[in-house]
This record gives sequence, structure tokens and C-alpha cells, in this order.
Amino acid sequence: MRLYEYEAKRLFARHGVPVPPGVVVEADTYEELDKVTYPVVIKAQAFVGGRGKAGLVQFASNREEAEGKIAQMLGKKHSTHTINRVLVEKKMEMKNEFYLAAMVDRLEHRYMMMSSRQGGVEIEQVAQAKPNAILKYHFNVGDIMPSFAARNIAAELGFHGQLLNDGTEIVERLYRLFTGYDCKVCEINPLVVTSDDRLFALDAKVDLDEDAMFRHAQLREMGITARHEVGELTEREKMAKKAGIPYVDLDGDIGVFPGGAGFGIAAIDLIKHYGGEPANFMDSGGAPTQEKLRSMLGLLLDNPRVKAIFGARFGGISRCDDWAKAVVQYVIENRPRKPMIMRMAGNMEQEGRKIIEEAKREHPEFFKKIKVYAYDMPIEDVIRETIRAAQAEHSEQ
Amino acid sequence: MAIIIDDKIETIVQGITGKNAALHTKFMLAYGTKIVGGVTPGKAGQTVEGVPVYDTVRDCLTEHPKAQVSSIWVPPRFAQDAILEAIDAGIKRIIVITERIPVHDMLYARHKAKERSVMIIGGNTPGIISPGKALVGMLPKIAFEPGRIGTVARSGAVTYYIANSLNLAGLGESTSVGLGGDPILGANFEDVLGLFERDTETDAVVMAGEIGGVYEELAAPFIKQMSKPVIAYITGKAAPQGKRLGHAGAIIEGSMGTAANKIDALEKNGAIIAQTLSEIPELVKKSIGR
Repeated sequence: MRLYEYEAKRLFARHGVPVPPGVVVEADTYEELDKVTYPVVIKAQAFVGGRGKAGLVQFASNREEAEGKIAQMLGKKHSTHTINRVLVEKKMEMKNEFYLAAMVDRLEHRYMMMSSRQGGVEIEQVAQAKPNAILKYHFNVGDIMPSFAARNIAAELGFHGQLLNDGTEIVERLYRLFTGYDCKVCEINPLVVTSDDRLFALDAKVDLDEDAMFRHAQLREMGITARHEVGELTEREKMAKKAGIPYVDLDGDIGVFPGGAGFGIAAIDLIKHYGGEPANFMDSGGAPTQEKLRSMLGLLLDNPRVKAIFGARFGGISRCDDWAKAVVQYVIENRPRKPMIMRMAGNMEQEGRKIIEEAKREHPEFFKKIKVYAYDMPIEDVIRETIRAAQAEHSEQ
Repeated sequence: MAIIIDDKIETIVQGITGKNAALHTKFMLAYGTKIVGGVTPGKAGQTVEGVPVYDTVRDCLTEHPKAQVSSIWVPPRFAQDAILEAIDAGIKRIIVITERIPVHDMLYARHKAKERSVMIIGGNTPGIISPGKALVGMLPKIAFEPGRIGTVARSGAVTYYIANSLNLAGLGESTSVGLGGDPILGANFEDVLGLFERDTETDAVVMAGEIGGVYEELAAPFIKQMSKPVIAYITGKAAPQGKRLGHAGAIIEGSMGTAANKIDALEKNGAIIAQTLSEIPELVKKSIGR
């Protein structure tokens, strides 16, 4: 879970990692601009790579100029991100740029501090062009970082005198922040030395573990709560989130109504493999309630782009009869006109089949385009039939 | 023989009084798994499906010293402590059903397990089944039949479909292992492949990976050394960048975690790549000359 730069910097400031003085400005808080020292840098708060090139970092030498530039930025859309606020900071006169980060090394299953004298550019680029310019230090999870290790890191960045002591403190504080807040990554790029020999975190990237948010009341107090990793959610993704359904919109026309997450991922691959285009990713979780199953169907069938539904239920933890009840109730209440091609197998399969057959007899008109296959029908044949059904819907229109 | 669990092992259930754990305790017992005790702090003296409940793992093992395997069903915030408690009490194999365990918690538990040579499976594993012998976790017994093919996968449902297709082709499984969907896992593909390589009742292994992380890539060099064929099925080829697909670990971050990287690394090291589920049984048969 990425933090916005201004949130990450507030966290830094709170824990003694120096950041340039600045304010956050939104559409109705231009008066904040009285509190900064000009010239300033204006940085759009959005998860967009290469903000500079996209015109999302601007400079201004006085309040009037700043207001004009901010007015142009706010409300703008960049891919899926709308710019709702900007960070306005005093422009720092800098001599040198460095890189410093604490992160989880998923290869080694240890903590890692990474540093480089080549700051200010994407670290991935440095890693490719000059791998020796990046230094890595590993720490066992649960160990404290001794001060001498922090001092070694600062020394290898080339810091001397007061800068060495200041740099050592920043390394230690960044590491404490990283472990203390359950971060996956805490990155300063660039860490700059100003013309008067002071250190500042000019940019800040913090990626928190959203599964550990429950133990960080301080973050909630700062208004930082769980959110989507990248970008903004579509309307349907927001609705899904409210209903507790992991859901991602894709571009295609085949609605995917799977069981668990792993098969949901497999299903979108298989649809593409056989020449179809999936409209979504979705995950029902282990044993969804009937209500949840109905909301899942609603999400798909209310989407005008969806022409046909592929459904799969492998009753393991969950029961096929519960699944069948939810499908039948949804169909009778909402009378969807789109084809639904599904397969139901496993736990309580026979009971589930009875429920479907009975509903078909009672309301044959609602079930004309609905098929529910059994254990002996290979799942990939069900997918192929769904793709054909979606194509038929297109040609009917 | 089978791997990790068989019809002789004695197991315990941590968090046994929870709704899910109690239900699956019933299913595991019905399958023939020997569950000798359960643990829920403060509930000693109760029973769940006839299984005695203890306050601590230590108390449980004092009464049942032969128990070697524990499955963990506690809420995520208590998972690290439950794992550490099991390690401390002398449990050797820990199967963590709990999902979305904080990353730093799991890293620490993993580190402690390594120090004591304890195997952790999970978190967010659906469990392990040695068909006809024992089941630990919540895998549906209906999807599995005894046979000589090992399976190891990150996703539960994909495991069911793979086993389902193997069964329909007359193959069946020696053991099926769910590695788990969390971003930090205990055992990885390589650990489980190593066990299958040494298992006299396994002829070939089907491994199923998905986008996110590097566990599939890490296993690739080991596959090269194996004498038994490995059929690999990797999902997420059509997955979008940067979006978490249900499992906490299933996310492509930058160039890391893509299906293409994984398939490339596995193929180069001798794994047989299955493009679809339906190809798997044929590829398995061909690889073992049947």
C-alpha cells in the first residue's frame, strides 16, 4: 500500500528524517501558500511514474505564479489518477544527490538497506547500468541495527564531519521507521546535501503492509487507512470493495464468476488462450455467503460490456447447493438476459443440481440462456462455450 | 510413504475452537487423520469433535508427546505467536491455514523456524493431503484420489482442478501440497520438490505457480538436478500490472513476478510447461512413459 509523497514525508518528519518545509494545497486551501518560502517546487500528489516529464512537477518564484500553476494541475487526470492535491515545498539548493532505502528482500527473507551515490534517478536504472554503484547491507529479521552499521553506510556514501553524524542518524531513523511501521519499502530518492551542508529527503516513497495496519493507530490518526495499491478504483471496483469482494475491471466482454482467487487468475488466462477477452478478475473467497454470491453476479450482469458469464464452482469448503440457491434466486429476481455458462462440481453437487433443475422447470423462460454443467464436463470446454455465447450475443445486436 | 503427512502422523490443531477450525477438525477426523489435541488459550478442558482442548501447545504435547504436526487456524494477528509457540514446544511441521499474516511477522517466524529446522507450510495454505492416508487443512477430499503424482501449488482451487484432471485421466496423487497464497511463505517450491524427489511413491510432480514474487524462479535450478519430471503450470499470463488479484501475494510489481519470467526460468531448467489445465494429464503420462 503506497503512501502519497506528502503522507510519507509527514511520517518522516514525525520520526526525525528531515524533509523540506512545505504545505499541502487542495482546491479550497490556497491560503496555505502564505506559509511557504519562495521560490517553491509544486509536486502533484499521484502515483504516476516520471512526474517531471508529465508536467506534474513545476517551479514558482512567487505566490501568484504558484496559484496559477496549481490551478492548472488540480483536477487533471493522468491515466486513472485525478490530481486532488499538490505538495508545495521550499526549493532547496543542492550540491549532491544520494539514494537510501530500507526494504524487505524477498529473495533472502531478510531486511536490506540499499544505498548509492547515484541518487535522483530510478534505482532500477542504476542497478542495470552500474550495479557496483549500489551497496546492500542485510540484517536478520528481529535484530536491531547497530549504530556502527548505520555509520558504515553513511561513510560509504562519502559523508564526513557533521554530515557523517547527520547521515548516520538518518540511516538509523529510516530503519526504525521501516521496522516500526511494517513497511515493505522506505525509500529516499534523492537524499540531498544542500549548499549549506544539510541533509534532506527530497522525495519519499513508503510502501506499507496493509495486512499490518491494524496495529498502527498512529497511521489512522494521520488519516492513512487501507487503500488500493495503485491508482484509483473504477466505480465497479468501489462497489465490489464495499461488498468485500476482491475485484479488478479488465477490458473484455466475458464476465468471470469463479471460485477462489487462484482459479480466477487461471480463468482469465484460459479465456484469453481460447480467443476470448475477460471483463474482470474476481475472488469469492473460501466459502462465500449466498448474499455475496448474488452481489458478485450483480456486479457482472449490470456491466453493459459483459456479454456472457463464465461461472465455476468447485465445492470443497463451500457447498454446491448454496451456490445453486444463490444463482437461482438471483436469476428469478433479476431475470438476466445474458448467457451464463457454468460448471458446478464437488461437495453437495447432486443437491445443487436438483435446485437448478427444479427452478428451470418452474421458470423455463428465465433459464433459456443458462447452463450448469457437472464434474464430467472439462472446465475448458465450458470456457470455450462461453466465448462462443459472447460472440453470438455480439452478432445478435 | 507420501510426503509431510501419512496415516501414522499425530497432529494437533491450534485455534481449534474457531468455527472454521472446528468444522475442518470434523472433516479431517472423518478422513482418518489422527488429531490428538487442540489448543485455544483459556479453553482447556473443553472438547471439539471429541478432541481434547489445551491452553498451550506445551500442555498438549505433555499429554501427546508423539505429535509432530500442527495446523494453525488462528486470526492473522495471532499467527506469528502461534507459530513460535509450536516451534518452542518442539513441533516439527507447521501448516499455516491463516491468511494475510503481516509480512514482518512471517519473516520473523520463518527465521526462527529455520534456526530449529522446522518446516512451515503457508500462510494461506489450503493444506496438505496424502489421498487415502491423511488430510491436514481444508482441501476437499472429493478432488483427490490415491496415485503416484505429486502436486504442489500456490492456489487451492487450481490444486483441485489439477487433481480433478489427473483423476479423470486415471492418475491420482501421492501427496498434494498447497504452498499458500501469502507473499511470504515458509516452505517454497524447491523444499517440496526435494521431498517429492526422495519419495518412493511419487513418479512425477505437477507444480502450479502464479504471478507475484520469485518462488517459481528460485525453484528452477533445483528442477534441473531432479531425476523426476516436473510439469509446470503458471497462471497470470493475462494479469494486469500492479493489481493484487485476490491472494495477498498475487501482484506484479515492476518486472518482478510476471508469468513470462517464471515460465522462461522453469523451461530453461527442464520443466515441462503446460499452457492449459487440460494438457497436464497428457504431459504427465508422456513424461513417465505411460
